[in-house]
Amino acid sequence: MIVGFSRMRIRVFAVVGVWCAAMVAVASHSGLLASQQAQPRPAAPASRPAPVQPVSSRAAAAPAATVQPDALVKQYCVTCHNQRLKTGNLALDGAELTNIPATAETWEKVARKVRAGQMPPAGVPRPSQADLTSLVAHVESAIDKAAAANPELRGPAIHRLNRSEYANAVRDLFAVSLDVAAMLPPDEEAYGFDNNATVLGISTSLMERYLSAAWKVAGVAVASPKITPSLETFRVRGDLSQHDHVDGLPIGTRGGIAISHYFPVDAEYVISPRLYRETVNIIRGLELAHELEVTIDGQRVGLAAFGGPKDEQANYLQPTLAGDEMEKRFQVRMPITAGLHTVTVAFIKKSSATTLELLQPFGRERIDPITPVGIPELDRVTLEGPFKPAATSASSPSRRRIFVCEPAAGQDAACASKILTTAARRAYRGPLNEAETRRLVGFYDEERKKGGSFTDGIEAALRFVLVNPRFLFRVEQDPANVAPGTVYRIPDLELASRLSFFIWSSIPDDELLTAAEQGRLKNPLVLEQQVRRMLKDERANALAANFAGQWLYLRNVRGHSPDPDVFPDFDHNLREAFQRETEMLFESIVREDRSVVTLLDADYTFVNERLAKHYGIPNVYGMQFRRVPVTDDARRGILGHGSILSLTSYNNRTSPVTRGKYVLTNILGTPPPAPPDNVPPLDETPGKQQSMRDRMESHRRNPACAGCHKLMDPIGLALENFDGIGMWRSTDNGAAIDATSQLSDGTTVNGPAALRKAVLQRPDVFARNMTEMLFTYALGHGVTYADMPYVRGVLKDSARGNYRFSSLVVGIAKSLPFQQRRSES
Amino acid sequence: MMITKKAIARRTVLRGLGAAVALPLLDSMVPASTALAATPASPKQRFGFVYVPHGSIMRQWTPAQEGANFEFSPILKPLEDFRKDVTVLSNLANYGENGHSVSSAMWLSGTFPAKGTNLKLGTTVDQQIARHLGGDTTFPSMEFATEDHSSHLGSCAGDFLCSYMSTISWASPTQPLPMEINPRVVFERMFGGDRATPQERRARLESNSSLLDAVRESANALKLQVGARDKVRIAEYLDNVREIERRIVRAEQQRDETGIEAPATPVGIPENWEEHVNLMFELMALAYQGNLTRVTSFMMARELSTLSYPQIGVADGHHPVSHNNNIPEQVAKKIKVDIYHLDLFAQFLDKLRQTPDGDGSLLDHSLFLYGSGMTNGNQHDHENLPTLLVGGAAGKHKGNRHIKMAKSTPLSNLMLSIMDTAGIDTEKFGQSSGRVGL
Repeated sequence: MIVGFSRMRIRVFAVVGVWCAAMVAVASHSGLLASQQAQPRPAAPASRPAPVQPVSSRAAAAPAATVQPDALVKQYCVTCHNQRLKTGNLALDGAELTNIPATAETWEKVARKVRAGQMPPAGVPRPSQADLTSLVAHVESAIDKAAAANPELRGPAIHRLNRSEYANAVRDLFAVSLDVAAMLPPDEEAYGFDNNATVLGISTSLMERYLSAAWKVAGVAVASPKITPSLETFRVRGDLSQHDHVDGLPIGTRGGIAISHYFPVDAEYVISPRLYRETVNIIRGLELAHELEVTIDGQRVGLAAFGGPKDEQANYLQPTLAGDEMEKRFQVRMPITAGLHTVTVAFIKKSSATTLELLQPFGRERIDPITPVGIPELDRVTLEGPFKPAATSASSPSRRRIFVCEPAAGQDAACASKILTTAARRAYRGPLNEAETRRLVGFYDEERKKGGSFTDGIEAALRFVLVNPRFLFRVEQDPANVAPGTVYRIPDLELASRLSFFIWSSIPDDELLTAAEQGRLKNPLVLEQQVRRMLKDERANALAANFAGQWLYLRNVRGHSPDPDVFPDFDHNLREAFQRETEMLFESIVREDRSVVTLLDADYTFVNERLAKHYGIPNVYGMQFRRVPVTDDARRGILGHGSILSLTSYNNRTSPVTRGKYVLTNILGTPPPAPPDNVPPLDETPGKQQSMRDRMESHRRNPACAGCHKLMDPIGLALENFDGIGMWRSTDNGAAIDATSQLSDGTTVNGPAALRKAVLQRPDVFARNMTEMLFTYALGHGVTYADMPYVRGVLKDSARGNYRFSSLVVGIAKSLPFQQRRSES
Repeated sequence: MMITKKAIARRTVLRGLGAAVALPLLDSMVPASTALAATPASPKQRFGFVYVPHGSIMRQWTPAQEGANFEFSPILKPLEDFRKDVTVLSNLANYGENGHSVSSAMWLSGTFPAKGTNLKLGTTVDQQIARHLGGDTTFPSMEFATEDHSSHLGSCAGDFLCSYMSTISWASPTQPLPMEINPRVVFERMFGGDRATPQERRARLESNSSLLDAVRESANALKLQVGARDKVRIAEYLDNVREIERRIVRAEQQRDETGIEAPATPVGIPENWEEHVNLMFELMALAYQGNLTRVTSFMMARELSTLSYPQIGVADGHHPVSHNNNIPEQVAKKIKVDIYHLDLFAQFLDKLRQTPDGDGSLLDHSLFLYGSGMTNGNQHDHENLPTLLVGGAAGKHKGNRHIKMAKSTPLSNLMLSIMDTAGIDTEKFGQSSGRVGL
């Protein structure tokens, strides 16, 4: 008996040993540090934590805990994490529970894994949830106490405006809308966001681009009559289907494009549509007569007939010539006033009937570039101009914004100075000193001396504003009277910039700037009132585009190209709808100040006809988006969105691993480490059709892979009912989908709804990850373990209101790292 | 002064730096340049560095025989037509952890990238050459790519910052150079963006001169106020302002030197990748031809590229295909992709061969390094990197050779030899332990 018993113990140890080895890979990850949740939670109903019931003192959690933290670590952790095995590069047998803050980096990692239910791993002895919660609370409160006594804060840093910030700043300064993406290159990201001070460097080619952008922007801003004509081409994507109505185009049309364009001056412009020509320049569908309509702001300005026997024949005989001739008919040359106008070019819709060749046409129209059969489609529209510009463009919105005074006779200089200092104060996010004003106005004077007009003078000075380091960089500096290494509150003006770049990705508006100049922003009430005002402003949509766009990887949707052979229905219309849906959900959470958890379990969403069809939601017609209730439990929240489901797939199949990794990284904040370098080949028999599950299971039999894949795969497998473009399916490779899997904490899930519910068992884990991301974005630098006490501070307050979006933003705005700094030593 | 021998119709070319063109000559700003003295008898050298990701299938890449007249391997077949200019180099390696970021970072730097929050690598070989030869061109170097890194979020999470994967060119150990993906932007830099008259250009020129002076004053004032760390950033800004002034002056001088005809303005980024690559190659050829630059680097695709190539029957993404797990049908796809990349490169070489330059062709005067910083897509290793040199380098490079080095010879040795070719006298580069006898 005794012999048998000890043998059994040995076997248990052997199993644990294998586990430890497998986990080496898991925990060795040292890149993104951030820990999970510190909120002590009531331990009672252990199996099912209440959604969010914050408790302010640790004492409330204590009664349920039965094992002291140090005993718990000894009993459950050091079996693997000891000096000898160093599983996951972590040894806890030497770690001092009595001096946690000294090894905070390690303990934050421990807390994060435990909090997310990933440690101890399934299959090894596990303490009660209450004991685990108590351990985490013990660790985190020790770290937080130490941080409160001696805050870890950064020094000042220079942030270059990134491309979106530059674009928004120009928009807000001059009331113009320009395609800045064509003027400036995309920025590098670090820690997941492209507003990170470390990587926002400057190069000569970038400097060159700033200089040429300054010429362009300043010319448009003053509506200079000297702007030389140029060509702007707007292409219709090849994978945009044009057999039906396209959002933004007039009712009763099909296909085409809507162009929102800022016309710089009152002048004549030429609009030239071009039809799609297949590989030998044949224009499709000419056997029938068609009409192409051009409108500006909803008014028809051109209608041209084409097609029919004559055009068809000409096109076959001399494709290029005939095409060019037809396009001349479409061309419109006309006077257009300065400002933003919507130009549309579309076909008059004749019938919804599609071509006869296919019994069941694909969703995507132009899937074959060779066939001459089909309907005419728009390929591109060129805008050319300005021609014969007005000397003064009275209708220019930017002139109205900039020219805050009219120069009276002999008073030119005073008015110019007023115009320029007003614009520069906003551009520089603060007042100008005397030397700066002199230099700025000097540009105006110089231009006038050379014989330039008043407008020319203003334009010359604005160019200087646009390449000035005070505009291009957000400069922070230690005040002269602060001793090195001292913690101090940042000046109100810097705080105003931090707020506006955080919430609007742009410069402060006049109200915020004035509050800062008057020194009122340091008053927490004023601060909170400003934050709430800013969140209600339309400019806060920048949070969806830039924060959610990057945090959730939504920006990847535009680069995702599913294989048309596998997904013949996927077209650009759907791609755009995917991105829009998720952005709109995020915007609704900001606007309606909902709990951020809504992102995961919203019982509503936003669809248009194309997307509704994709999801099988009936009775949605037309291309405009509208809010609809989500009745299918599997579709609730972003894990049921086509955007997330497709950007986590390969272009020809799903990838449960990628989906699992996405949930671990972007939702739970526990990214798995990179795969080991030498990935052993899967044992696959060529030619044998295997289901995804079979293939993955063979993968997990390899101990080198198992550690991480046991975390990732079950999550991804639970989502297998969604195909590579997020459409519901019940079979894969002919085999029925089995979406049942066991998560790392032992929970069994059987599909997307169950997975979502399992994730929502720990809403605090999600909220914490989002807060950490929002912190990173707000501060523009990587959040490390040393910042975690502040993240927890924000969460603690936010949890009381069930994580309303505004509470996270207000919390961050009031946090120490946002408000204070340590001077350079 | 006309540099090219062949008489090219001299037409006024709209030339660029975006809007900034033609400045009054400020002699003090023109760096001493050797190449201005160059005559058609001593041709100008051009250098190019073309990167492809995810390694290759080395047993199908490496020729069986060593030395001259080797038989072209299946993957290298597209280059056979250029035999006299091609040198295949085997057994070159970079030393560092396996991985994607490390592959592209080390390729031209020979330096293992710093982990964590601060960027640190080494000045890359293209930039060393640009410093040496670039003084007489508007752009000391030009950097190109095809994939927009801002729609690859999440691909570089981990120990290394994204810059290590987004560019292969570093102006200094802390200054990664952004690679341009938009042909329209490249075009506008080269030829100007609008239809300004010569008078208008002259006026802009003068304005820019005073603009940059004032900007410099502002930046200097700012530099006094900020902390030590940020002084570095302002200094970088000032350096770049100075370099722009030089370029503007140079652009003006060059207007009289060469006359290449501007092609039609590209619309933007083509949807079709092949068209995109060809357009970039075309612009590179024009930039060489007009002596706008003498050094280029080009990432045909990036590490972790999601591009797929249905046009050659590979519908799976390049990255998954490179993880072929030695499954024959996946390996075959990877080979197809590698051949396809070389096909496109060969078309570019052919264009250079047909472009007269001085007493020969552009290809005669160029030297290209083509290859990957990764060997095997399964392992992400950097042993025996796929590497080849093409071009005459103005008499400094002889092809028709397969040079097999001792196993694990540092790739940096080849970089030193390439720098020799450019006339740079230095004894050490990255991980070099000697030179490759070219």
